[in-house]
Amino acid sequence: MKRPWLVGFGLVGLLVITLGGTVAIGGTPIGWSAVYRVVGHHLLGVGGPIDPVTDRIVWNLRLPRALLAGLVGGGLAIIGVAMQTLVRNPLAEPYILGISSGASASASFFYLGFLPPVLSKSLTMSVAAFLGGLATITLVYLVARNGPRVSVARLLLAGVAMSALMGALTSFVTFSSPEPDKLRAVLFWLLGSLNGTRWAQLPIPAFTTIFGLGTLLVLARPLDAMLVGEESAQSLGMPVEALKRGLIVLAALVTGTLVAVSGAIGFVGLIVPHAVRLLVGIPHRRLVPLSFLVGALFLCWADLAARTLLPAQELPVGILTALCGVPFFLVLLRQRSYQFG
Amino acid sequence: MRFVLTLCLSALLVIGTGCGSSESPPAARSVTDALGRPVSVDSSVERVVSLAPNLTELAYAAGGGDRLVAVTTADDYPPAVDTLDRLSALPVDFEAVTAQRPDLVLATDQVNPPGDTDTFEALDVPIYFFSFSSLDDVFDGLRTMGSLLGTEAAARDSVRALQRRLSCLRVRTDSIPLPERPRVLVLIGDQALYSFGAGSYIHTLVEAAGGRSITDSLDTEAPTLSEEFVLTEQPDVIVGAWGSSYNPDTLLAHHPTWDVVPAIRNGRVYSLPPDLLLRPGPRLVTGAARMATRLHPTLAPASTSCPRDTVTRTASSTTVSSAP
Repeated sequence: MKRPWLVGFGLVGLLVITLGGTVAIGGTPIGWSAVYRVVGHHLLGVGGPIDPVTDRIVWNLRLPRALLAGLVGGGLAIIGVAMQTLVRNPLAEPYILGISSGASASASFFYLGFLPPVLSKSLTMSVAAFLGGLATITLVYLVARNGPRVSVARLLLAGVAMSALMGALTSFVTFSSPEPDKLRAVLFWLLGSLNGTRWAQLPIPAFTTIFGLGTLLVLARPLDAMLVGEESAQSLGMPVEALKRGLIVLAALVTGTLVAVSGAIGFVGLIVPHAVRLLVGIPHRRLVPLSFLVGALFLCWADLAARTLLPAQELPVGILTALCGVPFFLVLLRQRSYQFG
Repeated sequence: MRFVLTLCLSALLVIGTGCGSSESPPAARSVTDALGRPVSVDSSVERVVSLAPNLTELAYAAGGGDRLVAVTTADDYPPAVDTLDRLSALPVDFEAVTAQRPDLVLATDQVNPPGDTDTFEALDVPIYFFSFSSLDDVFDGLRTMGSLLGTEAAARDSVRALQRRLSCLRVRTDSIPLPERPRVLVLIGDQALYSFGAGSYIHTLVEAAGGRSITDSLDTEAPTLSEEFVLTEQPDVIVGAWGSSYNPDTLLAHHPTWDVVPAIRNGRVYSLPPDLLLRPGPRLVTGAARMATRLHPTLAPASTSCPRDTVTRTASSTTVSSAP
């Protein structure tokens, strides 16, 4: 029982190092000492006067971006865990099941001015993305449901079909809008990007992701029981139907708010929980927090690669996660005997 | 042999022209375009379709504007294009182009996909591709346009006039010492930072306007700059192709970290009409002159031997457009 703690502490350490590293690496070469003087200046108030340009690059451009990468990666990973438990199949994932595309379509409707803003712009965008994601996953789930069981084939097919439909809607609204940066907008909403992250974008996704993490931790035992089987969970006196509905809403909430700031980044929720299960097994009290950490690490590194792979160019990070994720998905699809654990 | 014969027969059936015979239109000449393709052009070109706005402008500047029968939906200059037929260039409307029965189609690899040539060849429509990476390419293109349209003399005059205006501008800016030449960033987009990389004509314009372009050594032809790049390069002036009614404050709103960039701090963000910077055509010289008035507001007036029209036109439109 020591191992999960050891793994957990190791991952936390690795995440801190990763965040520090990604802040120090970028298109502009900045010395590590200068980077940490800026961070120290803001966090601890130590250090003398700092160069304003370095300050802006490190504190206003790289750090919020690295933190958002961590949040998005961690959030998508734990929602992957929740979806896989919900349908009791390791192939479920917010991107594959269409939540991301639905959220993306809805958010792009708003972004391009087809929906009016209510309260603040970022809040409306998040709400729109949440509702779009919720509508999509509800539809997919209803199509795939067969009595108490969920048909995996139907679930995946419905997810893929809804993804395609929502992707088409996103492209349609983007191309029919007067916005001049059409291609960029399509790339953002369909492939995901963390480019241009601001501090102001962080609070909403941070709140929902932490909320999702907490909820899934509280629900760790019921989720374990769900994996064994709905009948046995029901016989233990658990409100299985309510739990399922709650998971769907939670998945739409977290995915929607993340998509609103980062676009549709796929396959994080597929790869990460699988890798973590290999490390620490299936109990959710370990799987959920460790998936969060590994997801955060994974997307931080993927975003670093997206920023630095091509000189003077930036790739949408979704390209990289798809490059890692799709082969993984196909292998899982082939391994029909895959069981949790 | 039989294969060739079949090909000839089918070509005869489809197109209705001879095959391998010398019955082609009288005195057609073969020219090589910027893609290195041989293009067979009639000696007297009468019906021309332009697939890019800058080619339309070049055709008019070359004195062959009256040969144009159709232009793209994006064309707006010179005003005479209003009477011409319009067609979609992106993606190209092959049907509409063919329906114009053109004896020459003008295209440029900056706008039109070079792969379209195959389709045009199959339709038996001659298409000539231009390519412009430097200002000299534009002048060369103007001469080529003249020879294609049979207006060589007018095109030569036009080139000479443009070169004269440019050298007049250069005479005024050449005396500016290096430390007084601002470091200029030219942007195409204000949100996504599209700019110009190595080998672009824009650097020649900036240099002629008395500035130093900071993106002239970037490897990529059409780079998307990062905010970091702009922060570290610290341009003295930012020139955007965002139109005359652009509010420079928008730029800071999109990129709040740029409050330390000298161009923003000193209020030296200028927006020019996109057509003067983005269309490799005759009006680039006007773009350079306008840029010069922004980079060096106190620039000495042109000498009397220089054509006054550019300067006065520039000055009057500057007063209109400079209101932020």
